[in-house]
Amino acid sequence: MSAPANDTLTPEMIDRLRAIVGPENLLAGQEELLVYECDAYTLEKHPPGVVVLPDTTAQVVAIVKLCAERKVPIIPRGAGTSLSGAVLAVTGGVMIAMSRMNRILELDPRNRRALVEAGCINAWVTTAARPHGLLYAPDPSSQPACTIGGNLATNAGGPHTLKYGVTTNHILGFEMVLPDGELLWLGATPDGGEEVDGYDLRGAVIGCEGMFGVVTRVLLRLIRVPRAYRTMLGVFETVDDASQAVSDIIGAGILPGALEMMDQLITQAVEAAYHFGFPLDAGAVLIVELDGLAAGLDAQTERVMGLCRKNRAREVRLAGSDQERADLWKCRKRAFGAIGRLSPNFLTQDGVVPRSKLPEMMRFIQECSRKYALRIPNVFHAGDGNLHPLLLYDERDPDQVRRTLEASNAILDKCVALGGSVSGEHGIGVEKIDFMEKQFTADDLEAMRTLRRVFDPEGRCNPHKLFPGSKRCMEFTPRKQAAA
Amino acid sequence: MSASRLQPATLEALRDALQGAHARRERIEAVDLRALGRVVEHRPEDMTVTVEAGLDLAALQATLAQQGQWLPVDPPNARQLAIGRLLNANTSGPRRFGYGGIREHLLGLKVVLPDGRVIRSGGKVVKNVAGYDLLKLFVGAQGTLGVIVEATFKVRPRPAVERFVTIRGLAFEEGASLIDQVMRSEMAPIVLDLHRLAGPAFEPTLVMVVGFAGTAAEVEWQIDALGQLSEFEDCTLEYEERFWAAEAGIPVHRRSVLPSQVTEAARSLAGVDLVARAGNGILYYRGGTPPPKTDGPRALLQRVKDAFDPHHVLPELPS
Repeated sequence: MSAPANDTLTPEMIDRLRAIVGPENLLAGQEELLVYECDAYTLEKHPPGVVVLPDTTAQVVAIVKLCAERKVPIIPRGAGTSLSGAVLAVTGGVMIAMSRMNRILELDPRNRRALVEAGCINAWVTTAARPHGLLYAPDPSSQPACTIGGNLATNAGGPHTLKYGVTTNHILGFEMVLPDGELLWLGATPDGGEEVDGYDLRGAVIGCEGMFGVVTRVLLRLIRVPRAYRTMLGVFETVDDASQAVSDIIGAGILPGALEMMDQLITQAVEAAYHFGFPLDAGAVLIVELDGLAAGLDAQTERVMGLCRKNRAREVRLAGSDQERADLWKCRKRAFGAIGRLSPNFLTQDGVVPRSKLPEMMRFIQECSRKYALRIPNVFHAGDGNLHPLLLYDERDPDQVRRTLEASNAILDKCVALGGSVSGEHGIGVEKIDFMEKQFTADDLEAMRTLRRVFDPEGRCNPHKLFPGSKRCMEFTPRKQAAA
Repeated sequence: MSASRLQPATLEALRDALQGAHARRERIEAVDLRALGRVVEHRPEDMTVTVEAGLDLAALQATLAQQGQWLPVDPPNARQLAIGRLLNANTSGPRRFGYGGIREHLLGLKVVLPDGRVIRSGGKVVKNVAGYDLLKLFVGAQGTLGVIVEATFKVRPRPAVERFVTIRGLAFEEGASLIDQVMRSEMAPIVLDLHRLAGPAFEPTLVMVVGFAGTAAEVEWQIDALGQLSEFEDCTLEYEERFWAAEAGIPVHRRSVLPSQVTEAARSLAGVDLVARAGNGILYYRGGTPPPKTDGPRALLQRVKDAFDPHHVLPELPS
């Protein structure tokens, strides 16, 4: 299966697209398209032939049908916060930007559901649900910007997935336009029950990286806002001690809402940027958040603190107020943004290892840092074993660029060797295509292609992603990677 | 074309049998995996376990219990239910409200496809988005797309305390109102069931069951909170077993509705035994009229079947 190599969008076709969405909702000028030439993965860039911004499902159907008729690639796009080049228009085509379809259509507190358009911003859902004592659980760091449709495409995670699961656990059903223009509803319908007969196509589409069609409306599951939180900051001399504390907390049968680690380099950068009061000389800090009923939470808090101290924590601090808790999370979620103070450029990975392999993996990353003479701060979802090493480099130095890519590859290879995965939440996109054959056999990959052919026999929807052998935009020369 | 039943002794035997059937375009009616029943790897410190599909759920729970862990699912007839059959059928029990179904706990699968190729999907880590989430296709597929031979699950610590209580003799309106109040309260029950079963004490009214799990303090607090809404007495989940163990031959139907419509749906099912997951909006009832068919994307489902099993070696998708 290979996607059409290149497209030629005729002026007549552009006119027809313009007639569908209205002249102000079609972008075809070179400068207008610049915004859409990449997402938050900026090492590779290519503009789409045209960007359309539909306002209704009917418009999406009309656009997709026209593209099917003309055999033109379609690239669905949310907010463009992907870190893997998931919405890169590798060979041009029609980009369908969902940013105008951003409404919350229904909120049903009794049944704990929300029906939203695919372009709805993740954080808006919780903002709307909170007055009813409900929230939408998946909370990626990009949540003030990223869309529900994009979350669905990447099966997005976030710090609170340790206890609450990832996007697939919180999407009941959705409306979708297949690449041939057929309109479908998969999974639970807004007025129906959660059990649906037949294969779980809902689950098979979530995480498909936008390669199966264009999702237009999504039915979300909401959960109760936890009654109480206890958010702790453990200060450790070494990453090893902090990693062991993570293992001990999980091993004790405690399931925190979140369990996040920051090493010394990133803590220093975050402190310089946001002035929370992090210690600058600590080897690692651990954010542990317990949530649930108020009853018994203090006893659990004591146990967590004890396990931190047992692993030589210098200090365990409890957030004294909601404001302090909010500030702490703001620092954590904006950690990538603080990197600008350390380095002009960075490359981030999101490999996963079994939790018990965290200390070994962290030592390996430190070895890589020495071996390749690179600074590699770490901020990550320790409870999930989901790493985010940030490889700092300066794009003006070709040797640094080369060493960065080598170190990055070595880290992902190690994740696979330890029984993990090359991606915990960012996805493959174009960025990690070369790792697919390391993690999967030819037969595994062929089974994925089989599924794709069911939805998109022509390979026309978001082409050149995920599969080895896909066409790349350009010679792989890192440029700038923006913070996300 | 003749149909056959397989009882492979090894994975290789299964692979060869499927390869042969695929080549000869033979049908395979059923696969008995009892020979493949090992716990492959339990990593208590990672809270993950990998098992062969022929292993009984009860045996797995016994292994996990040694480390104070469990797979928090309670499907019907769990005493003699192989993991592979559980995944094929995607059945669930009362604790589904608190913990979700088996799908929610599944991290990875090894599957023999109808042409004999062996594939893996997912993995052994708790978070993994590399490649498509192919394993979702096989859960609940009734063995029509491939033969699940191995599965990796994330497991949980066993709660320190579990307690179930019951409120009897509820009229439909009372039941609806009480469920509403529980849902709006601070309580976080793991079971929120309704049932109405024939027997020595058959009543036309509904019985409600609420279950709590967690630390002793958490459970106690919630029991107190429930006590402010209603009187109750302690109970077990025996009604669930009683429902599923009832006489064979009368089919059990499943109906899925919005959780807010459960009591209304129960009212419409007059005179039949039923258990209902009030928190999930799912009703099981024995006998009576089958529920209306949900009109899914039939053509697309058939395309999936045709793509993965082009020679239709495995059973057809149930209509």
